[in-house]
Amino acid sequence: MSLEQYKDRNVGEQNYYMVDIEDYPTTGWGKFTRVVKRTFSGELFVGLWVVLREMIKFDIHTVSYPQEKLPIGPRYRAVHKLLRLWESGYERCIGCGLCEKICISDCIRMDTKIDENSRKEVTEYTINFGRCIFCGYCAEVCPELAIVHGGRYENASEQRAHFVLKDDMLTPMDLLTQQQEYPGFGAVIPGTDKSVKKTPLAY
Amino acid sequence: MSKINITNFTIDGRSVTANHGETILNVARREGIYIPTMCYIEKTTPCASCRLCSVEAVGVDGFVLSCNTPPTEGIEIVTNSDSLQTERTNIMKLYDVNHPLECGVCDKSGECDLQNKTLEFDVSQQNFTARDQERSIENWGLINYNPSLCILCEKCTHVCNEVIGDDAIDLQFGGYKSKVVPKDSDILDCTFCGECIAVCPVGALVSSEFQYSANAWELSKIPATCAHCSAGCSLEYEVKTVGAATAGQSEIMRVTNNFEFTSLCGAGRFGFDFDKRDVKDVNEFNKAIEKFKSANAIKFTSMVTNEEAMILNALKEKLGLKLFNEEARNYQKFMRAYSKVSGKLHHSATLDAVKQSDAAIVIGSRISTDNPGVRYALTTASRHNGAKVIYLHPMEDALMQNVVTQMIRYEVGTEEGVLALIAKALLTEADLDETSQNFLNSLDDGYLCAESNVGEEELEMIQKSLRRTKNRVIILGNDVINHDRAENIARIAALIEEYTDFSLLIVPSEVNTLGVSLICDLDEETSVNSVVGYNAKADYTVASFGEADLNVAALNQQEGTFVSVDNQVLPTNVAIAYEGYTLNEIAGALGVEAEYSIDYTPQLPQTSGFKATAFDDLENFLTHDGKDVRGYILDNVNREKSVKFEQIADLPEFNGTVIYSSNPVLQFNPYTADAKQLESDISLRGSAQFAAAARIADGDEVEIQTSLSSVIRVFKLDAELKGTVALNPNFDLGLERTLGSYRYEIAKINRVSN
Repeated sequence: MSLEQYKDRNVGEQNYYMVDIEDYPTTGWGKFTRVVKRTFSGELFVGLWVVLREMIKFDIHTVSYPQEKLPIGPRYRAVHKLLRLWESGYERCIGCGLCEKICISDCIRMDTKIDENSRKEVTEYTINFGRCIFCGYCAEVCPELAIVHGGRYENASEQRAHFVLKDDMLTPMDLLTQQQEYPGFGAVIPGTDKSVKKTPLAY
Repeated sequence: MSKINITNFTIDGRSVTANHGETILNVARREGIYIPTMCYIEKTTPCASCRLCSVEAVGVDGFVLSCNTPPTEGIEIVTNSDSLQTERTNIMKLYDVNHPLECGVCDKSGECDLQNKTLEFDVSQQNFTARDQERSIENWGLINYNPSLCILCEKCTHVCNEVIGDDAIDLQFGGYKSKVVPKDSDILDCTFCGECIAVCPVGALVSSEFQYSANAWELSKIPATCAHCSAGCSLEYEVKTVGAATAGQSEIMRVTNNFEFTSLCGAGRFGFDFDKRDVKDVNEFNKAIEKFKSANAIKFTSMVTNEEAMILNALKEKLGLKLFNEEARNYQKFMRAYSKVSGKLHHSATLDAVKQSDAAIVIGSRISTDNPGVRYALTTASRHNGAKVIYLHPMEDALMQNVVTQMIRYEVGTEEGVLALIAKALLTEADLDETSQNFLNSLDDGYLCAESNVGEEELEMIQKSLRRTKNRVIILGNDVINHDRAENIARIAALIEEYTDFSLLIVPSEVNTLGVSLICDLDEETSVNSVVGYNAKADYTVASFGEADLNVAALNQQEGTFVSVDNQVLPTNVAIAYEGYTLNEIAGALGVEAEYSIDYTPQLPQTSGFKATAFDDLENFLTHDGKDVRGYILDNVNREKSVKFEQIADLPEFNGTVIYSSNPVLQFNPYTADAKQLESDISLRGSAQFAAAARIADGDEVEIQTSLSSVIRVFKLDAELKGTVALNPNFDLGLERTLGSYRYEIAKINRVSN
């Protein structure tokens, strides 16, 4: 998109027009007549009529929150989620610690250990939401698309701690089929496959 | 230095000079000119495997390896050009061929040379290829090896061979299949110093306990000094808060060192988890104060900082107590006798002097386990200077086999005679004063040789092998310091130091024996009532290990200083905060007040060579060119001379079954006994000859009875040992550990029937 029109400071030559606004009344009588005019013009009934008309038409646009929710933009940064691999259900997080390293409010902490298959296992993972500024760096840096910002914007609970433990963030096994791929921060750009270069294999 | 030994040349147009033996890389580093390397390590001979340090020399075809090429007069060196850049980038590309992309989990990520150099040379795509090999991850006990990650730089094999002396790993050559393997063995049989882990530039060799438990950037480094032996190795405790979801607690995750210049043994590297956890218990504290007030004496061990020793000494003066520490008192006695002859308070040699020596005599110490720092220094001297190492001890030591050029086995207890014979052999041409000459003349060589079993031909061989050596060191250990005749031995040692070009290293047994001996006014231990023990068993015990009445902070939880074998005052720091009481708080309640223990650091006695430097002004690091600027070296203190010798006493005989108080590799004290990674072998180890003499067999449970104590241990037959002396450990005895007596004892060995 061109930025030309924003850079043009010459107001006169563009299609601007002045809004026709009545002058403010200056005299006492002028003010009095304005009040009377506004009070008895019946504009109230205009509003009531619109409501009545729409009610009769049964074409209601109101979202009945909290039963209904509007879709949230993919780049919205709500409370984090930890995802699992689709096929196996293994945790995607490999414990590389990059989120911990990049976190500018220093609120991510994790413990890892070597598991019985000699793999790195994340034993604990927490985010201190008292400090998190929801900048999205953690999701952006994650090489495995394991930590993402979900779309869950309702954060009402007795304690912040109710959102921060690994178990709260991790997709439960029984809900694995409902796990959504995250298109927001750090996700694979559409068409990435085309830009990947193959390692030369001369043998 | 004479002019001939200096070479003038230029690097990148800058005029520089090289001293004799310096390579182009040495000079460049000294001058601050950057030449990239992957396999170079300062403390070994150049591996010359990476070829990254190639430079151009004007007028010379092809590249020159700067790491192992000394410059010639007037040569012009270019460290950076387009062709060099291409060469180096290609080398990095080759290193990256098939290197697993597992940085995400690799322990080395964040401090990896391969990562750094790959980014430095901007290797973003690969145009080389090789068929990958099947490689399996090896588990070698404390060490895990992943050949896929290995870049075959050979640093590990070089340090293992040249610095440590284990010579336990080797490179199995096979082109692209090459890998590091245990030398001549299927399993890794070494002392597990972990130096190979430290030098590994990638994540190929890692600590199996640490693996995958933390990322490099999560760890905060606490510079400190090792608390296990008197070598005073510099190390960094790497600490992390564990327990992400719970209220986190700090824990030491691993220990690292500046591996470019220094080394650590396995006890330092893996034996770090000896911290004490406790909270303040006011009742017990008040009880302790009462006990101190009513005490007649304080008994302590040398596992204390200088500041603690200072506090204990202040308590002695304040409360009119006696201060018992036999082991440090023996050292003090030894050094006082030494001072009378040498006129100096401190011995002259350092570990650096040992490293640079070309001849060393070791007497009275199983040095490889007593002080690995000295062992590594001897190995370095042997490998780099071809040093003659003459090792005198009643028992052979398999760990020293590769280093020792002449082994002399003397009879147990005859150290005094042995040193006198050595002195006579070394001082044949010296211009001695009359007293000393008379003393040497009065020696009955025949008797001494016969009783100590040191033959005249062996002494002649010593003389012969020392003939063309220049830097000589004599190293004395624990056996002579705690000998009944220690004072006379000290005089003879001082005599050798005084009249030959030998420098003298006296190795204290505990971490801060030297510091304690310089600070405390110690009393001879007698049996008195109500003794309070500090890190030692007594009627009321205050200690940082074992079952104590009142717990105090361990040595990795304290600020303070140690005095190392180098006569260097070394600062150590708090790795883990201690919530309970400290000695300073106890002393405060008893009227010896200071806000912090380290307030005593500048008050350490200047008469003993300490400086009035505040703790916070002490540095704790090595400079980029390896200069040790930790703490400070004790000032030389001159003492009044009064040369007087005693006649050599009749050499004692130790017949029958003798036990030698000696700990296995990596074990020193109750701290190392607590460390969960260190193998804890508490068996009595002896030869087949010992087994026959004691009428016991391998695996028997035996009771070892000496004049002082009795302990039950399992006997293990050790094929590497000979003779009728068995090794009896004491590190596991905790507070019951007795120190400060001669390490050999005649013991009655009885099989425990069950």
